[in-house]
Amino acid sequence: MSRNILLATLLAAGLTPGRPAAAQLRVVTSTTDLYDIAVQVGGKRIVAKHIGQGYQDPHFIEAKPSFVLELAKADVWAFVGLDLEIGWMPLLLDGARNGKIRQGGTGYLDVSKAIPVIDVPSGNVDRSQGDVHPLGNPHYWLDPDNGKRIAKLFEKKFIELDPAGEKEYAANEEDFERRLSAAEKAWAPELAKIKAKPVVGWHTSWRYFAEYTNMNLVGFIEPKPGVPPSPSHLAGLIQTMTRTGAKVIVMEPFYNRKTSDFVASKTGGTVLVLPPSVGGIKGVDDYISLMKYNVSKLAAAMQ
Amino acid sequence: MRTQLIAVVVALAGTTILTAQTPNRARADSIARADSIKIVRELEAMAARGSQQQPRQVGPTNPRLLPDISAVGDLIGDFSPKGSTQEGLERFSVREIELAVQAAVDPYFRGDIFLGISDLEGIGIEQAFLTATSLPWRLEARMGRFLAPFGKQNTTHRHDLHTVEHSYVVQRFLGEEGLKGTGIYLGRVFSPFGFYQEFIVTAVDRLGEAPEGLAAEEPANKKLSGLGYSARLRNYWDLSEATNIELSASAMTGRKEQPIALGVGPVDINATLARQTTAGLDFTFRWRPLQQGLYKSLIVQAEFMKQFNEKSPSLPTGVNATDYIGPTRNYSGAYLFARYQISRRTFIGGRYDWVQDPEADGVSLTAGNGLLEFFPSEFSKLTASLERRSLKGLGGTTRFLLQASFAVGPHKPHPF
Repeated sequence: MSRNILLATLLAAGLTPGRPAAAQLRVVTSTTDLYDIAVQVGGKRIVAKHIGQGYQDPHFIEAKPSFVLELAKADVWAFVGLDLEIGWMPLLLDGARNGKIRQGGTGYLDVSKAIPVIDVPSGNVDRSQGDVHPLGNPHYWLDPDNGKRIAKLFEKKFIELDPAGEKEYAANEEDFERRLSAAEKAWAPELAKIKAKPVVGWHTSWRYFAEYTNMNLVGFIEPKPGVPPSPSHLAGLIQTMTRTGAKVIVMEPFYNRKTSDFVASKTGGTVLVLPPSVGGIKGVDDYISLMKYNVSKLAAAMQ
Repeated sequence: MRTQLIAVVVALAGTTILTAQTPNRARADSIARADSIKIVRELEAMAARGSQQQPRQVGPTNPRLLPDISAVGDLIGDFSPKGSTQEGLERFSVREIELAVQAAVDPYFRGDIFLGISDLEGIGIEQAFLTATSLPWRLEARMGRFLAPFGKQNTTHRHDLHTVEHSYVVQRFLGEEGLKGTGIYLGRVFSPFGFYQEFIVTAVDRLGEAPEGLAAEEPANKKLSGLGYSARLRNYWDLSEATNIELSASAMTGRKEQPIALGVGPVDINATLARQTTAGLDFTFRWRPLQQGLYKSLIVQAEFMKQFNEKSPSLPTGVNATDYIGPTRNYSGAYLFARYQISRRTFIGGRYDWVQDPEADGVSLTAGNGLLEFFPSEFSKLTASLERRSLKGLGGTTRFLLQASFAVGPHKPHPF
């Protein structure tokens, strides 16, 4: 009874529970990386939520009805795009019944539109190639240049939907870029240790990170994107590592490391579990920390 | 032990690879035979040749506005020891091909069309509905033919079930392939108590398919009270980030043709209309740890249904109550299903069924079913199912089924 009175009072006052008085936009993102950058840019003018967790494979998120409730109230739905969320996003958007965040709505934000996408296949593409993304590799946030592009995109979208916050959004975005650039300068010596060093990845998710760090990806645990390895593929990979001198296997925390450990045991290599996203491991709680952690851990492993 | 086995296989495979190195074959337009690193190398070369370092502001990816077109194949092998238990008695059959065409119609509607093709039934409209996507107040409205939102299992296409066939209570109360209806659908999502709730009501032309060979004096839908009506209330809770439950209730009612004794009524009339009402409760528990979710998961599901049949329907002139041979009692049924993921691509599960079988005058049918599922990828599935089914007092049947199903094209994800 008293709860109803409280709700009625809040509604009468024109307030909605869960949205701070200063917040103008309710933002939901598909990943924690987009979430963190959105929060950096939006500051107190937004209330943000994310669907996936940093330690979860973003390809295989369950379309839980509780996410529908978040999306039903959203002003902005920001997602990675390039079909990364194709297995679950349509269900959530259909379930949310929120015209603002459907395709064509003002809050439908395909972040990949701001990104110079790599690994875009040409010619015929089909599933015999594994879980290939016909529009290109979607794991672009692991390049700080793309982190800055994402921040710019959020700034533009937030100003479009909340013009009164233009100065605040612009200042926040500028601050984020400044801090990220400063962090890049700080870890530049570590990038030098990584440059051209041969590395094996589990999935093609490390392609943008490799472009940024100039590490040399010489092979993948997966024979084709999304396809678990066969013994013959692992045999070939062991030979590749031996031939190229690769000693580091980079993998995400959501894969079974037994396979990587086995390959490492045959090559004298090291398995490096790196978070692919913010929150992927404890202590990596924002985008700059994510990049810093991955660069420093990889550089240390190369020594 | 497993590691040792892999090591042996790897060693053997490595030898093969060493002796079988072949030059890269020329690939004009495809990277189909490449592995991940070869794909990457090829794409790197393309990027170096071209200008991929520009934001992706190219033209539309679907300039002809083509709909998503996909197909699902559902293949069955029946190795039951006493002969095939399939409707057409085949040992091997293409049980169904489902063809789906889906797209936004305009800013206000989306269209979904599912055609079912099978040897037994030819081609038929499984579902075809228009969904209004711009309604306020979290409303969703559909018009057309759709799977009845009754219970949990019935809203899943048969080929996408965790088991080879629907549970027996669904088969007996709703139909072998589940229950569809043609009409209107209205659903609303709400959360007044802080958790997800959805209320769905439908009105359809009739309750279930028209029974073959039965003719009543008037069509069931002549009066509005004879249409099929259903309601469903879904309740969903997250218990933790890895576990959740759904507890929902459904009900439906309508008038159906039920048989009367031959030759006692007007010419060409061998049925009368009787009300049938079914109520159900369903429960689903899911566990899937987020970090290990590729390799571990558990689902436990149960449904209970009770079918109420009108015992004394109005009969055609000249027909006595004793000539009515339709159902004059109520029936109940339930199933309990569980499936556990034991590796990235392998699941084991089982289901127990109990139903007072309307096709056997309410005799209890029980069945125990064990299954092994293997998913080579998200788009293909192989299932082996061993079942022991018994009708009380009438003996039992052992069934061994293999199922292979596959999806080609951009098949839309199925409901959670």
